[in-house]
Amino acid sequence: MIERVLALLPRHGGAAPIVPEKSVAGRTLLLLITIMGFLSAVTLGGVVLVQKSAIAWSSDVGREVTIQIRPVAGEVMESNLRTAVSLAETTAGVASARALTLQESEKLLEPWLGAGLDLTAIEIPRLVVVQLSDPQDADLAGLERNLAAVKGASLDTHAAWRQQLNTMAGTIVLSGLLVLLLIGAATVLAIIFATRGAMATNREIVDVLHYIGASNRFIAGEFQGRFLSIGLQGGLLGAVAALLFFVLIGMAAGNMLSSEAGAQVGVLFGRFALGFDGLLSIAAVIPVIAALTAITSRHTVRRYLVQTS
Amino acid sequence: MIEFSDVGLRYGNGPEVLRDLTFSVEPGSFHFLTGPSGAGKTSLLRLLLLALKPSRGQVTMFDEDVSNLNQDRLLQMRRHIGIVFQEFRLLDHLTTFENVALPLRVLGQPESEYRPNVTELLEWVGLGERMNAPPSLLSGGEKQRAAIARAVIARPKVLLADEPTGNVDPDLSSRLVHLFAELNRTLGMTIILATHELPLLDKFNYPRMLLSKGELTIHD
Repeated sequence: MIERVLALLPRHGGAAPIVPEKSVAGRTLLLLITIMGFLSAVTLGGVVLVQKSAIAWSSDVGREVTIQIRPVAGEVMESNLRTAVSLAETTAGVASARALTLQESEKLLEPWLGAGLDLTAIEIPRLVVVQLSDPQDADLAGLERNLAAVKGASLDTHAAWRQQLNTMAGTIVLSGLLVLLLIGAATVLAIIFATRGAMATNREIVDVLHYIGASNRFIAGEFQGRFLSIGLQGGLLGAVAALLFFVLIGMAAGNMLSSEAGAQVGVLFGRFALGFDGLLSIAAVIPVIAALTAITSRHTVRRYLVQTS
Repeated sequence: MIEFSDVGLRYGNGPEVLRDLTFSVEPGSFHFLTGPSGAGKTSLLRLLLLALKPSRGQVTMFDEDVSNLNQDRLLQMRRHIGIVFQEFRLLDHLTTFENVALPLRVLGQPESEYRPNVTELLEWVGLGERMNAPPSLLSGGEKQRAAIARAVIARPKVLLADEPTGNVDPDLSSRLVHLFAELNRTLGMTIILATHELPLLDKFNYPRMLLSKGELTIHD
C-alpha cells in the first residue's frame, strides 16, 4: 500500500530505480525502522503526556491554597474557622473560601487512621480551602499577615509540592529525551550496517556506475532514494502503531484497572489523551526517521565509495 | 589522443605486471590488443579507463597528464571513454532500454530527451524489438550488442572492449567486430579491442598491440 503511494512520487522522469528496490536490506531494515519509529513515537507521546499532566497538576494546585488551623487551648475552633474564611474572602484574587466540615476532616485522616473511628474525643486540625480566581495577582502575603491574628493558623501555598512536581516532570521529560537520543543512535548504527551490507550486495551496480562515469554523489543519491523510501515507510508504520498503542492503553486503563487504580493512573496521565501537540509530535517522527535514514545512508555510501575507489 | 611513456604498473608490493609501455594511439584509429591470458590486457585497459594510476611513467589522455588529476576531472575524462566487458555487466533488474540509457541518466538527461536516441541506437544494433526485455531474456550476442550500445550511447571519444567476443560463438564474434568497425568508421570513434582469439585478428586488418609478460609491441 505504502509502496504504491511512494511509487506515485516523481523520480528521474519515471525511469526504474537504478538500485533495485528489493535488494536494499529489504524487509528486515523496514521492520527495524518500524520498531525504532514505534519506540520513538511512544517515548515522545509519553513525554508529552507527562508534561501535559504536570502542567495541569501544577495549574490545579496553583489555583488552591489551604489554611490550616491547629487546636489551641482557650481558642474556639469554629470561631477561628469563620475568621479565617472571612479574612480569605476579603483578600484580593480569592474566588471563594470554605472550611471543611468535621466529617470531611475526619475522612481526610482515614487513610492513616482507618475508617470507623470516633474522633470526637480528640481535637484535630481543621482546614479552610481557598480557591484563587487569579493565582498571579492573589495577595497571599497579605493573607498570611492577616492570619497572624488567628492563633494556630498557617497558610500552605503548596509551593514545595509544586516544586517537587515540576522537578519530577522535568526529570521524566529529560529521561524521555535521553531515551529518544539513544533510539536515534541505535537507528543510525543499524542503518550504517544495513547500508554497508547493501553496498556490498550491490557492488556490481556500483562498479558499472563508476565505469560509465557516475560520480560518487550520483551513486549516493540513488542509494539515498531507496533508504528514504524505506525510512518513510518505517516511520509511518511506527507512528501508526504508536497511535494504536495509545488508543489501546487508554481503553485498557479505563476498562481493565480497578476503579481506584484507574483513578490513580488517571491522576497521573489524565485520560491518555495526546491532544493536538501529542499527535503532532508522533507525526513528526515520520519525516525525522526518514531524514535520519536518508542522511545516514548517503553519508555511509559516500564514505564507502571514497574508501573503495 | 592517448600517449604512454615508460609506464609501469604493479599491484601493491608485487612484481610489475606492465613494464616500460611506450606507445600512442591516434584519434579515430582501431587497435586490437592481444596476448595470452595473464599478459596484462585487462590491467592495460583499466589504465586506459583511468580506473588505475600507473606506478611509474606518464599517461597522457586528451592532451592531459592523468597522474595529477583530481577526482572530478578524472570523472569528466572517464565520460569520454566507453567500456565493453566480456561478461556484459548489464543490470538485471533494468530493461535493455534502461541499461543502454544508463550513461545518459548519469549525465542528468531527462527520459523525454534521450528516449529517441536510445531507441534509434537499439534499432541500429538490431535490438529494436527487444528493448523492453530484461537482460536475462537476451541471448549472449544480444547481451553483448546491448552492452556495446550502452558503451557508445553517450558518444565517447574512445571505446575500450575487454574480450567482448569471449562469450559468443565464432560467427557472432566476427559480426560483433564488424559492429565495432562500423562504429569506428561511421562515428570516428577510437577503438581498442582486447581479444586473444587469433583467427578473429586475421579476419580484420587492424594494427595489433601485442602484450607478452607485461611488455608491449605494436604490429601494424
